[in-house]
Amino acid sequence: MGQKKRSGRVHPPTCPSETQPPAAARTLDPPNSSKARGFGREERARHRICMVSDFFYPNMGGVESHIYQLSQCLIEKGHKVVIATHAYGNRRGIRYLTNGLKVYYLPLQVMYNQSTTTTCIHSLPLLRCVFVRERVTVVHAHSSFSAMAHDALFHAKTMGLNTVFTDHSLFGFADLSSVLTNKLLTVSLCDTNHIVCVSYTSKENTVLRAALNPDIVSVIPNAVDPTDFTPDPSRRDNSKITIVVVSRLVYRKGIDLLGGIIPELCTKHHDLYFLIGGEGPKRIVLEEVREKYQLHDRVRLLGALDHKDVRDVLVQGHIFLNTSLTEAFCMAIVEGASCGLQVVSTRVGGIPEVLPDELVTLCEPTVSSLCAGLETVIARQRSGKVPPPADIHSKVRTLYTWRNVAERTEKVYDLACRQPVLPLPARLQRLQSHCGAFAGFIFSFLAVIDFLFLFFLQWLHPDHLIDVAVDASGPHSCWGPSFKKKAKDSNRAWPPGADTRHC
Amino acid sequence: MAEKNEFTDINGKAILLDCQNYSSFCREFTVSSPKVSLCKVIVCTCSVWLFAYAVFFVTENTAVLSSAIIITLVGMMMHIHLVKVEHETLLIIGSLGVQLSTSYASGRESTTFIEMSRIKDIVINEAVYMQSIIYYLCILIKDSGDPNGIASVVPLFQSSKPRLNCLVQVYKSCQAIIAQTR
Repeated sequence: MGQKKRSGRVHPPTCPSETQPPAAARTLDPPNSSKARGFGREERARHRICMVSDFFYPNMGGVESHIYQLSQCLIEKGHKVVIATHAYGNRRGIRYLTNGLKVYYLPLQVMYNQSTTTTCIHSLPLLRCVFVRERVTVVHAHSSFSAMAHDALFHAKTMGLNTVFTDHSLFGFADLSSVLTNKLLTVSLCDTNHIVCVSYTSKENTVLRAALNPDIVSVIPNAVDPTDFTPDPSRRDNSKITIVVVSRLVYRKGIDLLGGIIPELCTKHHDLYFLIGGEGPKRIVLEEVREKYQLHDRVRLLGALDHKDVRDVLVQGHIFLNTSLTEAFCMAIVEGASCGLQVVSTRVGGIPEVLPDELVTLCEPTVSSLCAGLETVIARQRSGKVPPPADIHSKVRTLYTWRNVAERTEKVYDLACRQPVLPLPARLQRLQSHCGAFAGFIFSFLAVIDFLFLFFLQWLHPDHLIDVAVDASGPHSCWGPSFKKKAKDSNRAWPPGADTRHC
Repeated sequence: MAEKNEFTDINGKAILLDCQNYSSFCREFTVSSPKVSLCKVIVCTCSVWLFAYAVFFVTENTAVLSSAIIITLVGMMMHIHLVKVEHETLLIIGSLGVQLSTSYASGRESTTFIEMSRIKDIVINEAVYMQSIIYYLCILIKDSGDPNGIASVVPLFQSSKPRLNCLVQVYKSCQAIIAQTR
């Protein structure tokens, strides 16, 4: 998606526009025009990708925006992308987002934290239907917390499709839940064609957790939309120094550290103000601190922020503080730097890889170290030795772009497609040799059941009876340039936002 | 002028689409499903009776047998009266509206009529149906309060569920008529 187009959009990540599915009939004529266009360019493999994750809009978060932005850029590159996720309340059935990005909200039961239940079997009929009717060639699953993603990988391998997995988070090794998740990840990834991690730390973590061959793991960082995060120095109050914190107020984000920093710095510097955006169970810690030291005028808690309001909060500050205790790739500090703020962060997980040293001050995750780091930045700010926000922005804007991410992901797809998908006997052998005797046995058994179930479904409802879906994106897209022109020419407006609640 | 085309429904069973062209702004589409097959009736009846006989063998109560007979008879009647649809007809008259009628195997017919002024458009949509995802044809009904809004969606050919190629043919003819009236 081009820069121009982007600035034109109101704010697609928060409210992707919905449109009525294009009436199928108009596109069923032989796609001569699009074929001719295809041959004009150099021969490049076009993939039909299905992104699967439990996490997608209307749920908000890093994974959601990653999937959305990546899909948009892949569509721009001429691939066909569909997204499969579970139904969110009333949002069920099939929806279309900007540029013909098709989203399947499948009616699967949600168990915990927006993650679906998993039996490894029951989601096969619906996912098979999606894969067959969209003629998917690559299944790309996101997030290790998502049960649906693991299910989709499992079924895709059974159906003989190429698989790619993106891991978005870091895990421990010690506690019971990590041990179980790691086992599941080992099983799920041992026969996946390619794995993508968001930072080198995350790659190391994933390779260790899932006992993988590091060669099949690629690192592709996240990106931010630089046009959304532009500096605006006029919004700052330069008579005081404002420290901005934007994160969920949870333990993982180090809010207890923040509760230690605030009183220490506030007693030393009388022109220091804190602006804290976000909501979560640790809010009480900050409220207690504020109460105890009587800092009501200097510590402002803004509560939950919409994604579109984040920039407005960021540009009001001078310093961006991140106190995370674990982080695979920190989008927040890139957003902060993109708005021209001085960034102070903890040195944990993948954070040291994210920004060049001149743009970030790294500290140990302790109160004293963070205070020392903040002190130096405050001193620099007072002496006026900091680079102007516009300079910082221009440095950051070239670092992480979604187009770059899409280009690299495309290469991963090319690579994955060249690899063979293991046939069942080889897959069983891999499972048993890779995942230990017990888990290997259980999951081999499940793989066989899944295979038989697929056979049963193919007998019950053969592939040729499933209508091939009309492409909304990709080489034979009916939403291509010619379609948009046609829609504009004919004055008959497409019925927008038809009720698509089904089932 | 009439043309008959063979299509299949989403389960692969043959259905017949009969297009009657009365004039350029009046067309009738009839989708006919195959009749109740004798074989299926015999299999159903036999299985119920065999089961009843097995129960009778254990309990030695003749009420089981008589109730089985009643169940099969009532079930058959209910099936042809309420479930089994033989024809579904869509009559579209450009200046007037759309009439949908469903005739059941028993001969019962139910008809609804939608005026043209209430119809926003006829489109092909997708839905999750049971454990699969299908295309269906539907009428979008205008919202009286909001000119661009849609109050409800009326699915067409609900019981025969034709496949996409059949829907496309109906869709194109319907669009031709709707385009004339605007």
